[in-house]
Amino acid sequence: MISRRALEIAAAVLTGIFGVVVVVSSLDNGIGWSSAGVDAGTFPFLTGIIIVLGSLYNLGQGALGRGTLAIVRVAVTPSELRRLAGLFVPAAIFVAVIPMVGMYLASAAYVFAVLALPRRRSVLSALVIAAATPLALYVVFERMFHVSLPHGALAAAFGF
Amino acid sequence: MENLESLLHGFTIAVTVPHLTLMVIGVLLGILVGVLPGLGAPNGVSLLLPLTFGMQPVSAIILLSSMYWGALFGGSVTSILFNIPGEPSSVATTFDGYPMARDGRPTTALATAFGSAAFGALVGVILITFLASWVAQVALAFGPPEYFAVYFLAFASFVGMGGAAPIKTVVALAIGFAIAAIGIDTVSGSVRLTMGIDELVKGVSFVVAVMGLFGIGELLIAVEEEFSARAVSSRVDWKEVFRALGRLPHHGIALLRSAAIGCWMGITPGGPTAASFMSYGIAKRFSRNGARFGTGEAEGIVAPETADHAAGTSALLPMLSLGIPGSATAAVMMGGLMIWGLNPGPMLFVDQKDFVWGLIASMYVGNIVAVALVLLTVPVFAALMRIPFAVIAPLIVIICVVGAYSVSNSYLDVVLMLGFGVVGYLFKKLHYPLAPLVLAIVIGDKAEDAFRQAMLMSKGSLGIFFANRLVTTLVLAGIALLLLPLALQIVRLLRKPDVSAQEKVRII
Repeated sequence: MISRRALEIAAAVLTGIFGVVVVVSSLDNGIGWSSAGVDAGTFPFLTGIIIVLGSLYNLGQGALGRGTLAIVRVAVTPSELRRLAGLFVPAAIFVAVIPMVGMYLASAAYVFAVLALPRRRSVLSALVIAAATPLALYVVFERMFHVSLPHGALAAAFGF
Repeated sequence: MENLESLLHGFTIAVTVPHLTLMVIGVLLGILVGVLPGLGAPNGVSLLLPLTFGMQPVSAIILLSSMYWGALFGGSVTSILFNIPGEPSSVATTFDGYPMARDGRPTTALATAFGSAAFGALVGVILITFLASWVAQVALAFGPPEYFAVYFLAFASFVGMGGAAPIKTVVALAIGFAIAAIGIDTVSGSVRLTMGIDELVKGVSFVVAVMGLFGIGELLIAVEEEFSARAVSSRVDWKEVFRALGRLPHHGIALLRSAAIGCWMGITPGGPTAASFMSYGIAKRFSRNGARFGTGEAEGIVAPETADHAAGTSALLPMLSLGIPGSATAAVMMGGLMIWGLNPGPMLFVDQKDFVWGLIASMYVGNIVAVALVLLTVPVFAALMRIPFAVIAPLIVIICVVGAYSVSNSYLDVVLMLGFGVVGYLFKKLHYPLAPLVLAIVIGDKAEDAFRQAMLMSKGSLGIFFANRLVTTLVLAGIALLLLPLALQIVRLLRKPDVSAQEKVRII
């Protein structure tokens, strides 16, 4: 179970870190006014400062349990977390294997795994959908619009 | 009246069987590229371009512009059905279109969107017909300070209207600006905020951010809530299409106001995206149902769609009369014009009367063809909502992945898109507003460039924003739009803190 307080703090820390990174890397570009006008780093620097200050405020509000959503204590229940992971983890694995096996194989395997393994569909209909997906992608992208999708290291090894 | 005569002559060129056939082909292909995220009007137009070399210039431009209309309409379809905006300009359509479709009224949402889009396009074409020369002058009066003022106006009309916590809104907006700054800085040419990752030099594409934030983020929210689309009746309900169209006149004021905003933003090069956001923001503020915006309110679909298409149409005028392409699509079309042996610019209206008026007439006819075709497809698209969520969820993931990849053939974009998905979920869950974030990503760097160029012109003096009547009016209007809701909010807070009412507002 994840409490709203933990989630608020996590979000504020995340935005705060992003703000610090923006501030630090904008210093490389120079801030202020020079002969070439407003320096390139000035605006990112200012937005970075605003992000950091705002994140600190949100962090305080979240930690103290104040703000508009203070009444809601629990953000994500265990069963909700399971469903979230059920969608996100396979999607992340799908994205991770694309460089290796290519878009077509990865998408077919992903669709099949998501549909057949939790027994949402029969194996046959899962197979049909899994085969139709890369076929449709191939026809529309590669054939009709000449947009090449990644074929993957595996296909390259076989000489495609 | 001279214009009217030329227009009638144009109609005799546009309304012929071969040209009508070309329109149908163009519109259908356009709808296809519009519906598929990652592919857009620029892709479609550049692919068709080689086919047009052997054609008459009029036939060629009719085919390409019809494709553009089709893509404009198609872009709204995925926004409404799956919360994935295919084009930057249809982001604002998701705010009310998606809740309405999820509520079991996809047909109404699509028909409302297409109907108001057609109205906006029509107003845009009428404007082009009668005010071509005047409009060209307005566009020429625009320098960097005026550009900045227009963007400022768009931000001002949008920021601070939602029910979100103010500091969270500010953080979201600032993050959007920072993301927009990633990559090569157009003013100085230096590389910014790449954080050591060389591939980030090309910047973070808007499409990547939006597909993650809206597409994947919404999917995560949906599984968490164990969402299932409310049963949509399986019959093709034509009556609902016409009922939705029949209700449009009830939103007459919103239609006219949005069309005016759209035309204005199309001529001044604010563009369709800024126009649709601004129109939505202003509609929310002035509508009687403003508080219900974001929950599937028809007017929340009418406002952005009308403005989007009015701007998209009137933006073609600077391309023809001045030779300044207002968008990527217009730039490709202009390349076509030159290949066909025509010179875009003021002389086009004098030398190539047949071409110009044939094109303008084809805009009327082409839009009618596009609306008719797109309304015919409504039941087909609405039927997509009946596919079980378990099947549609992985397909949406794949569409987002392929879309993010095909923007610039980059695997990094796919990973970024997934990251934006997590951010989108987190932000939505904690009521950080996504709309200011997206608006800042889309027009943040343009606004910054305009500001810095203006500063270069004035050697650092802010007085340039009050140097002439046009820019002063724009800036003052922006400040007024920004301060008005703040003042109202302070008054309301002083009277009585009303937390319960705020809770009901959907954060967009």
